[in-house]
Amino acid sequence: MSDDDVKSKPEDSGRREFLGKATGVVAGAGIAAASWPFINSMNPSTDILARAESQIELDGIVPGEMRTVEWQGKPVFILRRTEDQVVEMGTSHGSSKDPEPDEERVQKSEWLVVIGLCTHLGCVPNRNSDGWFCPCHGSVYDNSGRILKGPAPRNLDLPPYEFIAENKILIKKA
Amino acid sequence: MARLINWIDARFPLTKFVKHELTDYPTPRNLSYWWNFGFLAGFVLMLQIISGIFLAMHYKADVTLAFDSIEHIMREVNYGWLIRYLHSTGASAFFAVIYIHMARTLYYGSYRAPRELMWWTGQGLLLMLMATAFMGYLLPWGQMSYWGAQVITSLFGATPFIGDEVVIWLRGDFTVGDATLTRFFVLHYLFPFLIVGAVIIHLVALHYVKSSNPSGINLADKDNIPFHPYFTVKDLYGLGLFLIVFCYFVFFQPEFFIEATNNIPANFLQTPEHIVPEWYFLPFYAILRSIPDLLGGVVGMFLSVIIFAAMPYLDRSSIPGGAHYRPWYRIMFYVFIVDILVLGYVGAQASSDLLIVVGRVATFIYFLTFCLLPYVSRKEEQWLRKRGLPAEIEELLQQESLQQQKKDNV
Amino acid sequence: MNRNTFLIMLHSCLLVMVFSVPEKSAAAEVIFDRSSDSLKRGAVTFVNLCMLCHEMKYLRYQNLLEVGFSHNEVDALRKDKNIQDPLQSSTAPEVAKLLFGMRPPELSLMAKARKNGPSYIYNLLTSYYETADGVIQNQVFPGISMPDVLSYSIETDPLVRERLEQKAREVAVFMEWAADPNANQRRNMGYYVMAYLFILTFLLYLMKRKVWRRLK
Repeated sequence: MSDDDVKSKPEDSGRREFLGKATGVVAGAGIAAASWPFINSMNPSTDILARAESQIELDGIVPGEMRTVEWQGKPVFILRRTEDQVVEMGTSHGSSKDPEPDEERVQKSEWLVVIGLCTHLGCVPNRNSDGWFCPCHGSVYDNSGRILKGPAPRNLDLPPYEFIAENKILIKKA
Repeated sequence: MARLINWIDARFPLTKFVKHELTDYPTPRNLSYWWNFGFLAGFVLMLQIISGIFLAMHYKADVTLAFDSIEHIMREVNYGWLIRYLHSTGASAFFAVIYIHMARTLYYGSYRAPRELMWWTGQGLLLMLMATAFMGYLLPWGQMSYWGAQVITSLFGATPFIGDEVVIWLRGDFTVGDATLTRFFVLHYLFPFLIVGAVIIHLVALHYVKSSNPSGINLADKDNIPFHPYFTVKDLYGLGLFLIVFCYFVFFQPEFFIEATNNIPANFLQTPEHIVPEWYFLPFYAILRSIPDLLGGVVGMFLSVIIFAAMPYLDRSSIPGGAHYRPWYRIMFYVFIVDILVLGYVGAQASSDLLIVVGRVATFIYFLTFCLLPYVSRKEEQWLRKRGLPAEIEELLQQESLQQQKKDNV
Repeated sequence: MNRNTFLIMLHSCLLVMVFSVPEKSAAAEVIFDRSSDSLKRGAVTFVNLCMLCHEMKYLRYQNLLEVGFSHNEVDALRKDKNIQDPLQSSTAPEVAKLLFGMRPPELSLMAKARKNGPSYIYNLLTSYYETADGVIQNQVFPGISMPDVLSYSIETDPLVRERLEQKAREVAVFMEWAADPNANQRRNMGYYVMAYLFILTFLLYLMKRKVWRRLK
């Protein structure tokens, strides 16, 4: 193959380079735009997003009783605290690992709403009279869901919720 | 970046390979746009694999769930409708591209020595593609999916002696059912990767014998040009044109290739009025129906796909190439194309007395074209030689006979 | 014709193709009003009338928000059902089977399951007629199990017939939407994609010419 056929004129190369760059940019933008639908198709579909909120009725839970409900596939502990428990929780900030006053963890003081997953590695803690105990590695939580003892680094997480009626809460999407 | 490439090059022939097989790869300078379709086929293969994998993240291969999962993809998965339409339109695009690719090969005689293995690996690829498409069509579990699969799997009952057992074995059940759907899904997912392997073999063969070209004569070295940038840019331009047509269908006429009846869930108690395969199977379906005997029809249909493999031996002319220098061959080619279109039309219609006759005549012509080729090609060569061959052919034939003499003398 | 002429013709054909796209290839004969109001009226007719026997299992009440209804309007339509519930019939399918001899078909996809679906639906609903013996028949589907739900066959007042025809059209338009709720998004995206592809292909064409000019 002879080189004579393939030589180019010097003044062409500037224009050619610009055209090449422009085409490359346009093509690259197209490829990026075209990949988005595929990537996004792996995000939760609309039927799952619609179930991302949970409406919970609070009727029938007596003081001292805890109920477990579901939100986004996770357990949520709803504890209706007795007056004694509310007072007791107000006296401390939990432990030095994650100190937090009880008032900042509740919207109405008798209702504690926390995500029922141990902040250590995600097991579901078991209910006892003083709070919760995680059977996996021994973390201990009080009746405000605060970590007292054990390997868990944080107090039980709080889901985003609001009271939409006296006896109804809505745990929101995010 | 350059340092990284150097590090790799010391351990792996990356740059050498890319230079030899892609950048500097010698390609005939006179290739026309008909040579774009191999690249397009590779592109559509990638498109189908990618869209298929993302669909498979949401599809459920179970008779009680399949149809619903497709609607879930269409309505609830983000951009699910787009990925689905890419895949369904892609199937038709794949066959369109492959049929044009095959037509190019036939017209220009690219199947002839030394490219027979390319033609045969291509033949194998076509069969695998047809199997993949057939199995894929069952997956939506619509009326046409189900009844199309019922009809085609029952054809295997024509196998002598063990026909019934073969059909049951194929289906995994006495009828097309959950067992069939599950295995078709698994195989439909598998086959494209086998196709990728066969494409690699196809390309290895290509790079050994190099591309043919429109004149049919092997060009001198000086008439080759490097693949990059000439044919990389030409392939990309062709891809742009292809995508325009393709996306028109995806975005504006996506249901064009989907049978209306397939929007009804499969009902094993009710056969649709009109069972019709996808367009790319129509000519072969017409041949199947034209032959009144079950075994005969199945053999005929199978033969009509396989017979292409015989082309290198059916063509007895020593005039190189295809239709370029051979007017009789060109006429046969056009007759064959028209005949396929007629067969396709017949395959889509419900049976009628007239259509049965038309179908049989068209089937006859289809096979006759192959059968006549040995005779016609030789007679044509005689006729061409009497008229006087063009100079380039004379030269080439002389060269070839000289080489043959040298071989004989050794 | 030389190659450039061919290319120009090809590009023109493709351009013409894109912009002559019919809104919906199916509806050939009947003229449909696809405005939001028409769609909403069709939805209301469907929920209050058709759903006495039919269901749309692939649509949920939540999806009706996409038609243009407000939350309150959807709440009124769904009555005591949850917003996530599919559009089920108020008649149990077994009961309907006893009444009509067959299960009323699910209608989410009916507009796609027939050639020229929306026209087919409109024609079906408005081709009930009364025979001389007083039997109600349907021209499009003889022997149909579905009764004349619009009472079209026995209506003689032309003004009322016109209103019933409009109702039938609106139901067909709603069912067309229900079969393909993403149609608008798809077409809008399509305009952008086609414009982009024309630009990109043109750039690639220029590059191809530039590169190939290097050959003598």
